[in-house]
Amino acid sequence: MATRLNRLYNPLYILIRNPVALKELRGRMRGPRAFMVMTGYLLIVGFFTTFIYLAATSDSLSNTGEIDGGEVGRILFSSVVAIELFLVVFITPAFTASAISGEHEHQTYDLLRTTLLPESSLVWGKLFSALAYIILLLLAAIPMQSIAFLFGGVDLPEIYISFVILMCTAVFLGSLGIYFSSTTRSTLRANILTYITAMAVALISALIIVVLVGINNSYTATTNTSVVTRAGEWILLIPRGLFICLNPLATLLVTRDFLINQQSVFTIEYAFQDGTSVTLLSPWLVFSFIYLTMAGIILWRTVHILKRIQE
Amino acid sequence: MTDVIPPSEENIEQPELAADAIKLSAQIDEEDLIIETRGLNKRYGKLHAVKDLNLQVPRGAIYGFVGPNGAGKTSTMRILTTLMRPSGGEAFIDGYSVIHNPRDVRRSIGYMPDFFGVYEDMKVWEYLDFFAACYEIPESQRHGLINDLLELVDLSHRRDDMVDKLSRGMKQRLCLARTLAHDPSVLILDEPASGLDPRARVEIRELLIELAKMGKTIFFSSHILADVSEICTHIGIIEAGEMVMQGPIKELRRQLNPHKIIVISLLDKVEEAKTAILQLPDVEAVTDLAPEDGKKRLRVEFKGEDAGVSQLLAALTTKGIPIVNFAEETSDLEQVFMKVTKGIVS
Ligand SMILES: Nc1ncnc2c1ncn2[C@@H]1O[C@H](COP(=O)(O)OP(=O)(O)OP(=O)(O)O)[C@@H](O)[C@H]1O
Ligand SMILES: [Mg+2]
Repeated sequence: MATRLNRLYNPLYILIRNPVALKELRGRMRGPRAFMVMTGYLLIVGFFTTFIYLAATSDSLSNTGEIDGGEVGRILFSSVVAIELFLVVFITPAFTASAISGEHEHQTYDLLRTTLLPESSLVWGKLFSALAYIILLLLAAIPMQSIAFLFGGVDLPEIYISFVILMCTAVFLGSLGIYFSSTTRSTLRANILTYITAMAVALISALIIVVLVGINNSYTATTNTSVVTRAGEWILLIPRGLFICLNPLATLLVTRDFLINQQSVFTIEYAFQDGTSVTLLSPWLVFSFIYLTMAGIILWRTVHILKRIQE
Repeated sequence: MTDVIPPSEENIEQPELAADAIKLSAQIDEEDLIIETRGLNKRYGKLHAVKDLNLQVPRGAIYGFVGPNGAGKTSTMRILTTLMRPSGGEAFIDGYSVIHNPRDVRRSIGYMPDFFGVYEDMKVWEYLDFFAACYEIPESQRHGLINDLLELVDLSHRRDDMVDKLSRGMKQRLCLARTLAHDPSVLILDEPASGLDPRARVEIRELLIELAKMGKTIFFSSHILADVSEICTHIGIIEAGEMVMQGPIKELRRQLNPHKIIVISLLDKVEEAKTAILQLPDVEAVTDLAPEDGKKRLRVEFKGEDAGVSQLLAALTTKGIPIVNFAEETSDLEQVFMKVTKGIVS
């Protein structure tokens, strides 16, 4: 009975119930490769953390003659998260773009397809196993993130939220990788397509955000205050907010600013020029919703593609 | 080291295999079809790879599906294993339509493709465990099952080795074990013996017989008829997408081979022998063969029974013709194959 309950609530057990997830994890954790990826990842994060630490502390010293602990802590934390984000964007496609095309290339796909394994289990298993490893990488970097705590200026919610944003990015990119892996027979092409799409989403949204912020700034900066209306601000706010919530880095930065200034985790107060304000969902919530929804749609499409039988 | 000399196909031949096949065929009900296709067609663009195929495999048969390269064997098998949609016609396995009940079909079949890979970073037992899990076999049963399967294909001693370290023949046997994980009633094997050395081939053949004795129907392809004829109860010959002939192997032999071929070696009096032979009844033709070791040879096509053969011999000896050898040529299926497929293949 105890073991049954244990099984019901143990996510690892659910993972292992999926034969594909178990197989992938076994394969990934075996041999020196998993160890090398982990070491490389920690070295990169560690190198940049040290570098930023040195830069931030010398900067604070030269300006005021005294270290502003909170500021250093915040810079350190944000930098580590940004590096992690970069690595997640880099690693996730590499882990998932071979999901289906790799089975074709190894001539194992037909063997799988003639078993009773549902297409959805294949897709979930591939995604879960990739995410499990990424979670491991993120957890391994926590000691470096927590260096920031020594300086203060960083609260626990920031850690949770950054973890959620990183994971949602990984889920989205992982789904994208599996999707492209199912549309092409070549792992290389699936990799390239995933990177191109990921870069396009990141760069185009960043560009649009910059433009929209610029427009908003010039709009609200006009001396003629009668021109600035609430309606006008709303019209500029909605697309700006949406594009911020399409970009993980922008979401991280904006959420962080609101956290620091308003100490509120789930909602933000947006102040208009006329002195009124409105309560909105915090960007990280909207971001997570959008990314998980997109991932869901992509995975659904992937399962659909895999169910097709060769004509 | 005594076994450095590779064994030739002959000296490891296993006559009891054929006997087993004959025993098996006695128990088969020809009407109870476990694989059946009706007017099956497959087109790849303009190429018509399978043409109106009516495959009939009775339950319990070892069915050899024979044809030259590009005949359409793999295409047919991919349709039967639900991996590919036919362009026309229907196919049933154990009564389930491959188009409408693919899951039931998958439950009934074990499939070994012509080319298959193994996962590199897996142990032998993990490989079987993975596929057993894919066939929804509960975890509690898998351990015993894996041991049984490894025993069956004689790989128990390699249980904890990495799969990619196995030899080609061992991989083939491992893949065969994999197809058996869910105890299917039909095995569909695409060229199970290709790329194997003679000993490994014999091992696979023994294994197939073993499985047939366990009650499984085996449908396998090959382009070597000699491989097939020894262990099959049934044969289907496919050529350029068309079934040239199919049925129980005994029947095919009878149909195709109404002639006896007798080769006579003699020292002299060739013309005399020829006229004597042609005077006898049931003789179809006499032709000269190239001399061998200085002996002249004649080839006689004869459609009579055994009694006629002995009369022929008697007739020649009474005429004082110096015969050194008199032998009925056993016509093997390879010749049948050549005869049947002659002219169709370009
Ligand atoms: N996916 C495909 N697309 C186009 N043509 C194909 C495809 N698969 C097979 N063919 C063609 O269909 C014909 C039948 O091929 P198939 O593989 O079924 O033959 P086979 O009997 O298995 O041959 P082999 O003994 O070489 O394995 C061949 O001419 C082949 O070139
Ligand atoms: Mg083939």
